[in-house]
Amino acid sequence: MTKRWQAFVGLLMIALIAAGCSSSGGTNSEAGSTSGTSGTSSAKKITVSVWALQEHTWIDGAAADFNAANPDIQIEVSKYAVDPMKEALKVAANSGTLPNMWSTWGGSLGSFYAENGLTADLTQIAKDHNWPSLYNQAAIDMGTYNGKVSGIPYHLNAVDMWYSKTVYDKLKLTAPSTFEELEAQLQAMKDGGITPLSLGGKNGWHVMRLTEQLLEHFAGPELHDKLNNLTASWNDPAVVQTFAKLKEYNDKGYFPKGYVALDPTEAVNLFYPGTTGLDIDGTWLDGNIAAAGFNVNDFGVFKFPTGRSSVFAEMFQVSADLDQATLEATIKVGEYLTSAEVVNKYIDSYGTPAALNVTYSENTPHLKPLLDMATKGSFLITDQALPQEVVQKLFEAQDKVALKEWTPEQAAEGMEKAAADYKAKNKTS
Amino acid sequence: MKIGVLKPWLFVFPALFIYIAVIFIPTLYTLYLSFFNWNGVAPTKTFVGLSNYTDLLLHDSVFPRAVANNLLWTLGSLTIIMGIGLMLAILLNQKLKGRIVFRGIFYFPYVLSGVIVATIWTWMYNPMQGLFNKALELIGLGSWAQAWLAEPKFALYAVFVAAIWNGVGQPMVLFLAGLQTIPQDPYEAATIDGAKPRQMFWFITVPLLRETFVIVVAITMVSSMKVYDLIYAMTGGGPAESTHVLASWMYIQTFKFANIGTGSAISMFLVLITLVIIIPYVYYTTKKSHL
Repeated sequence: MTKRWQAFVGLLMIALIAAGCSSSGGTNSEAGSTSGTSGTSSAKKITVSVWALQEHTWIDGAAADFNAANPDIQIEVSKYAVDPMKEALKVAANSGTLPNMWSTWGGSLGSFYAENGLTADLTQIAKDHNWPSLYNQAAIDMGTYNGKVSGIPYHLNAVDMWYSKTVYDKLKLTAPSTFEELEAQLQAMKDGGITPLSLGGKNGWHVMRLTEQLLEHFAGPELHDKLNNLTASWNDPAVVQTFAKLKEYNDKGYFPKGYVALDPTEAVNLFYPGTTGLDIDGTWLDGNIAAAGFNVNDFGVFKFPTGRSSVFAEMFQVSADLDQATLEATIKVGEYLTSAEVVNKYIDSYGTPAALNVTYSENTPHLKPLLDMATKGSFLITDQALPQEVVQKLFEAQDKVALKEWTPEQAAEGMEKAAADYKAKNKTS
Repeated sequence: MKIGVLKPWLFVFPALFIYIAVIFIPTLYTLYLSFFNWNGVAPTKTFVGLSNYTDLLLHDSVFPRAVANNLLWTLGSLTIIMGIGLMLAILLNQKLKGRIVFRGIFYFPYVLSGVIVATIWTWMYNPMQGLFNKALELIGLGSWAQAWLAEPKFALYAVFVAAIWNGVGQPMVLFLAGLQTIPQDPYEAATIDGAKPRQMFWFITVPLLRETFVIVVAITMVSSMKVYDLIYAMTGGGPAESTHVLASWMYIQTFKFANIGTGSAISMFLVLITLVIIIPYVYYTTKKSHL
């Protein structure tokens, strides 16, 4: 009896622990496989799970419209803030639990899922559905990796200079057309008691928008592209000049006090009432200005005096792990959410659409001018163009130059080392 | 073997099973992953031996800073947060008017999430509109105003002040519970013998709080080694990566860079450092307390 009891308990423990092991082991090599679709397909109804960003308020109404018009397909939207979305996607990718469709960015952020075989190849669908006539080609291209279209684009964002008309009128300034003019205006604002640049350095990306424009100015388009592709050395005089200029602006007090640790939101809050004169921001800023209770017509935009604007795309990537019926339903949902019909209905909150043939709202008067500037020439925004390890080093270099821990030369060397380390680790040429 | 021998194992089995499934096996798996170069989704992992560890120790410029910050944070937690917690517990164990209200006030920040605490304090530290600099200006000490989170010299300490406000409630409550188990007799006897309050504290209160100290020190050490949310939300590890701790650097390596091997190696360092500090302490104190 005692031996039986002992054997029973022993077996029970082994069985349960083995069960625990096997479920834990599910994240091992199978993680890279395409098991675990979240879409459910039946003859009657297909559920399409969509992960969207928190700021996409328009998607709730659009999904409700779609569900009402399509009783055989049900959209289920889950929302995440930007960083939680990146984290949730990595965890879901690792555990084989990606949704049917998720919101992500182009460049090195979206490439992770495409290059690891987690996204459906939409190339043929894009061709069959004539996407070039529906979406801006640049937005399609930013979600295309190794010749394969990996996402349905919904935003094409352009980032450039915003100025406060209150400040510019007060100082009798007009939008500059040359770099020298811009620099003279920065000094004029400083002399007039206005902090010129409303940039916050926390997490690096807001100040990076100035860095990349300075790099475009000093390096020129060709070298800038090569630097972003890691096919040219970052230890280049143009990079040194870029960091030297950042240091100069810092030393002259062109940034808000303590900007290195200032959250971008805190920095932009100084821009709305005219405490600062300039912001480098995207097509979405009209909405933010209105939400903060200010008049969008009190602000203007101009092209940073270089040839190209910084752009980035947002898209819905589609899981590679869908049966044919669910894939078709998901594509239908994706094309609907990104369509001119939805854009036109929700234009005030939609952001900058990748869709063509849309009607822009009077509430977002700067959207079209920014897109027009980008149409004349653009480069992929740096934190999506560079590998994330190199991006992190760029942010560190920006801070260290401002804090006088690094000279501009050391910053350029640090960038080159980060690029070389990345290439060595990933065995790229 | 009689059934009586097996009985304790039966009782411990549910907890043991959960511990093995949720803690022990994932820890072993993390250790296994730390020997590979893997992005988390690729079908193959490249075995790299100890190179994730050696890279962190020899080539990673942030890792040594993160270790130092963790140790500094632990030291600060064990002295300042625990010290203030004990002081408040002793104060609020007295028969004071409104002590329950004060207990609630001091405990309240502990129930707030780290991100909320970070948001509150980030705004208070704002260099232009924040409470601290405005207050300094109001009292004529405007020259003392600082960009508190922007200076690598101050940034970690500025975050730690928020951590004190946030965290002091927990040791306070634990010490309060401990203090309420101490009988009055030793104090009465000591008073008759002419002992001073300071002597009573060192020779009665502290020894009789030994069991509570074991728990508070262990909890404080563990939570200070895994500190993450407050730092990440207030500084993002900056400026110039100066406020990273092991958990935040592990997050960046794992979720931003998709370097699962390196992130796992950082986790193992975190486990190792925690074990090296905690096991001798708990072993020594529990052994002593049962003698």
